[in-house]
Amino acid sequence: MWLKNAIRNLRHKQQADELLDEEVHGYAELLAEEKIRGGMSIAEARREAKMELGGIEQVKEQTREVRAGHFLETLWQDLRYGARMLRKNPGFTVVAVLTLALGIGANTAIFSMIDAILLSRLPYPNASRLVMVWEDVHLPHYQNNEDTPAPGNYVDWKEQNSVFSSMAAIRYRSWNLTGSGEPVRIEGEAFSADIFSVLQTYPVIGRIFTADEDRQGASHVALLGYGLWTSRFGGDRTIVGRTIQLDGEDYRVIGVMPREFRFPDPTDQLYVPLGLSAEELANHHSHYLRVVARLKPGVTVAKAHSDLQIVAKRLTAQYPDSNTGVGVSVVPLREMVAGDLRLPLFVLFGVVALLLLMVCANVASLLFARASVRAREIAMRAALGASRARLVLQLLVESVLLASLGGILGLAFAFWGIYVLRSYAPVTLDLPEVHLDALVCVFTLSVSLFAGIIFGLAPAFQSSRLELSSVLQEGARESVPRAHRRAHASLIVTEIALGVVVLIGTGLLLHSFVQLEEIPLGFQAQNVLTFRAILRGPAYSSLAQQTAFYRQMIEHIGSLPGVGGVGGISFLPLTLQGRTTVVSIEGRAPVASGQLPFIDYRSVSPGYFLTMQIPIRRGRNFSWSDDSKAPLAAVVSASMARIWPNGDAIGKRFKLGAPDAKLPWITVVGVVTNVRQLGLVGEPRPAMYFAATQDSGTGDTLRDWVVRAPDSVVLMPAIRSAISSIDPSLPVSRVQTMEQIRSTYLGPQRFELSLAGLFGLAALILAAVGLYGVTSYTVARRTHEIGIRMALGAQRRDVVRLIVGQGARLALIGVAIGIGVALVLTPLLSSLLYGVSATDPLTFAGVAIVLTIVALAACYIPARRAMRVDPMVALRYE
Amino acid sequence: MMRVQVELLQGTLDMLIMKALALGEMHGLGISRRIEQITKGTFQVKPGSLFPALHRMEESGWLSASWGESENNRRAKYYQLTKAGRRQLESETQRWGRISLAIERALEA
Repeated sequence: MWLKNAIRNLRHKQQADELLDEEVHGYAELLAEEKIRGGMSIAEARREAKMELGGIEQVKEQTREVRAGHFLETLWQDLRYGARMLRKNPGFTVVAVLTLALGIGANTAIFSMIDAILLSRLPYPNASRLVMVWEDVHLPHYQNNEDTPAPGNYVDWKEQNSVFSSMAAIRYRSWNLTGSGEPVRIEGEAFSADIFSVLQTYPVIGRIFTADEDRQGASHVALLGYGLWTSRFGGDRTIVGRTIQLDGEDYRVIGVMPREFRFPDPTDQLYVPLGLSAEELANHHSHYLRVVARLKPGVTVAKAHSDLQIVAKRLTAQYPDSNTGVGVSVVPLREMVAGDLRLPLFVLFGVVALLLLMVCANVASLLFARASVRAREIAMRAALGASRARLVLQLLVESVLLASLGGILGLAFAFWGIYVLRSYAPVTLDLPEVHLDALVCVFTLSVSLFAGIIFGLAPAFQSSRLELSSVLQEGARESVPRAHRRAHASLIVTEIALGVVVLIGTGLLLHSFVQLEEIPLGFQAQNVLTFRAILRGPAYSSLAQQTAFYRQMIEHIGSLPGVGGVGGISFLPLTLQGRTTVVSIEGRAPVASGQLPFIDYRSVSPGYFLTMQIPIRRGRNFSWSDDSKAPLAAVVSASMARIWPNGDAIGKRFKLGAPDAKLPWITVVGVVTNVRQLGLVGEPRPAMYFAATQDSGTGDTLRDWVVRAPDSVVLMPAIRSAISSIDPSLPVSRVQTMEQIRSTYLGPQRFELSLAGLFGLAALILAAVGLYGVTSYTVARRTHEIGIRMALGAQRRDVVRLIVGQGARLALIGVAIGIGVALVLTPLLSSLLYGVSATDPLTFAGVAIVLTIVALAACYIPARRAMRVDPMVALRYE
Repeated sequence: MMRVQVELLQGTLDMLIMKALALGEMHGLGISRRIEQITKGTFQVKPGSLFPALHRMEESGWLSASWGESENNRRAKYYQLTKAGRRQLESETQRWGRISLAIERALEA
C-alpha cells in the first residue's frame, strides 16, 4: 500500500500538487462565501478566510509531508538543489571536491593495502585453523619467541598434543638444477609428508609424497612449483615421471603444485620429502625446522598454546640438557604472512585517517564561510515554513553530495596511487596483488558518507540556528552569530592540532631513519659486487676438492683487471640469514646447559675480510695455510672477544657445543670489527668466523662471493666465464651489489617513510590552507571595521598585527593541543623507532616551530590584503 | 463568544472525520463544519490539521475521494467512507467507548 502510494505520488507529483492547490484554494473560496453570506464585504471575507486558513502554502506543505514517498521526493529535490548550488559555485566545489578526493583517495589506497595484506584470504581451506608452531626460547644468552624447532621437539609435540588434527615440518632447501639447459640455482623446501593434510592443498598434476618416500634413503622424488614448471619445462604435462638433476643427483618428478601455492616462501620453486633419519628425529639440540599445524575444529589458538606448553614442560623435565628454557609459541599463519607489516600499515592507516579528519575540518571551514553568504537564503526558507530538521537535512544532503563526488574522484586517485605504490614498493616488502575490489569500494563509500556527515553536521546545525529577524534585515553585515564564529575557530584549532600529530609522527619516523642510515655497518659496501655459487654434488664431496675450487676461483677472478679483492662467505651481511650455536670456553668451570653463550657463526675464505674492508683489530687474517693439516683457527668479532678478560682473545681456545662434546678445540687467531649481519638495530651480536678450508665441525660451506672493483658490474661476464672455465655446470645466481643489498634491507623502512613523509607534507599544506581560509574570511567580513579603524588613525602595522594575531592565537592553541595529543599517541610508534624516543623533544619542538611559521605565513597573506583596505572605499561600501 | 479550545489527539481527529463522513460524502469545509456541529462547537478543525489527516486516511484506504460540483458551482474534492473506513470507525468507536468508560470509572472511584 505504502509503496504503491509512494510510486503514484512520485510519478504524478505535478498533478497531485495541482489538485492539492485546487482543493485548498476551493476551501478558502467556500469559507469566504460562507462569510459573505454572514454579511461581510467581499474583501473582508477573503481576508478573514485567509487568516483562518493560516497560510495556503503552509497548509499545502503540511499536507504534502504526510504523503507516502514524501521523504524520497524531498531527498531528490535536495539533491537537485544541492547539485545546482555546487554548479553555481565552481571555485568552492572544485577546492572542496579535490581536497576530499585526496583525503578519501589516500584512505582507499592504504585500506586496499591492508585488505590485500592483512585481510586477504590464504589459499587453503579453513585457513583460519592453520598455525605456525615455534620454540619460545628464554635463556640467559639468547631469547627468541619464534625460534625454529628441533626435529626431536617436533616429533614429541606431534605425538603428545591433543589439539592439532595434523602437523608437518618444513626445512629450507636449495639446489643446483643441471641438465636440459643453463645450470640454475633454485630454492624450495623439504616437506614432511603430512604437509598436504595440514594445508589441504594438493598437486594440480600428479600425486603427493607417500609416507614411505618421507624416510631417509628413500628414492628421490620431487614436486615442481607452478612457476618452475612453466619457465623451465614449458608447462609440459609429460614431465611427471621424468627425471631431473638436483645437485648432481637424480630426482623423479611426481607432480606439479597449483599456481597460487606459495608456501611457506613466495620464492619456493621445488618441493622434496623431508626424509629425516631416526637419529635426526630424536635430536633436540639442532633447531632448523619450521612447523605448521592445523587446529582441530573448535580449538582456539590460546587452548592450543596452553596444551602444547604442558607438553613442552614435560620435555624440559625429560631432556634438561636441550630443553631448559624452551617453551612453545603458536602463531596464526595469517599473522606470519603479514609479519612485520602489521604495525607500519596500521600506523599509515592512522595517519591517513587523521588526514581525512583534517580534510573534513577544512571543508567544514569552507562551508562555514559560505554559510554567512547563504544566511539570507536559509532564513528565507525558514520563513517560508521549512522546519529546522528540514533545513539541516537539506544542508547535509549537499555535503554528502560533495563527499560522494570527492569519493568518486578519490577512487580514481587511489587507483593511480596503488599503481605508483606497487611500482615503488621494494621487493622485500613482497606486496601481494593490491587492487580495488568490492570491499575496498564499500569502504570508500562508507568513508565518503561518514566524511560528508562529519564535515556537514556542524555547519548545518549552526546555519539552521540563525536569528531570522536579524538576517532578513536588509544590510545587516554582522549576520554571523558569535557561536558560529567560535565553532569555525575551533574547527581550525582542531585541524592544526591534527596536523601537529601527523607531522610529529612522520618527523619521528624520519629522525629514526636518519639514525638508522648512520649506523656503521662494519664493512665498506661501496664497489662490492656479490653473487651466489654453491658447490654441490659428488665432484665436491671432500674438503680438498672444495678448497681446490675456492683457490682456483679466487685466483682467476682476482687476476681480472681492476679487481681489488675476492672472497667467499656462508651468509652475506644484511641478508637476514645466519646460523647460531652454543660454545664452551676452555678453562671455564662447566655451566648448566642453557647457560652457555650463543654465538653466530660463518665460514669465510681467505680474502673475505680484505674484500669487505672489515678491519682486523688484533691478530691475523685467514690464509691458505689454514688448511686441513693446520690447527683449527677462528677469527672472532670484537663483541665475542669480550668473553675473555680485557677482550684478550688471541690464542684462547673454545669448542662448539657443550664442554663434554667430543669436538676439537678451536684457537682464536684474530679479532675483527663487529659487522651488522642480521639487523641494524640493537647491540651487534657476537660472531665467529671459521676457515672454509678447514673442517671446524659446522658443516657450513661458502655460498656467496664478494668482489671489490671500482666498476664491478661490468666485470660480471668475465667473472661468469672465469667460473665456467673451472666448472661449466656450476650455476651463478643472485648477482647484486652490496649497496643493493643494503638498500633492499632498508627498503621497507624507506618505503614506509616516503609514504609517511608524503602524508606529513599533505598535513602541513592542509593546515596552512585551513588557516589561510579562515583568516581570509575574517578579513573579508571585517573590511568595514578595518576601514573604520584606519579612518580613526590605525596604522597598517596595527591592522596586520590584528589579523595575524588572531590567526596566530588559533595556531598556538592548535599546536599546544596537538603536542598534548601526540604525547599520548606517539608511544604507539615506539617499536618502529630507532635511536629516537617517542617523545623526542627535538622533533616536537621542530614540528611546533615549522607549523607556527607556516601558520603565520598563511595568515600574513590575507593580512596584507586587509592592510591595503582603502578606508574610504570600505566605509562607502553599502 | 468563548470557545473551548481542545487539542485533538490524532486518532480522535480521524474518528471524528470518519463519524462526520458516516452520513455521506462531503468536501473539506463541509467536514470541518459537520465536526463543529456534532461536537456542539467544542472542536474546531483547522485546515492545517484537516488536510494532512484527510490525505493520510485516503492513502490508508479508509477514505476515497472524487471531484464534484460544490454549492458555489466550483470543483471541489468530496470524501467518502470506504468499507475499510467503516470497519475502522466501528473498531475505533468500540475502543473509545471502553477507554472513556474506564476513565469515567477511574474518576468516580
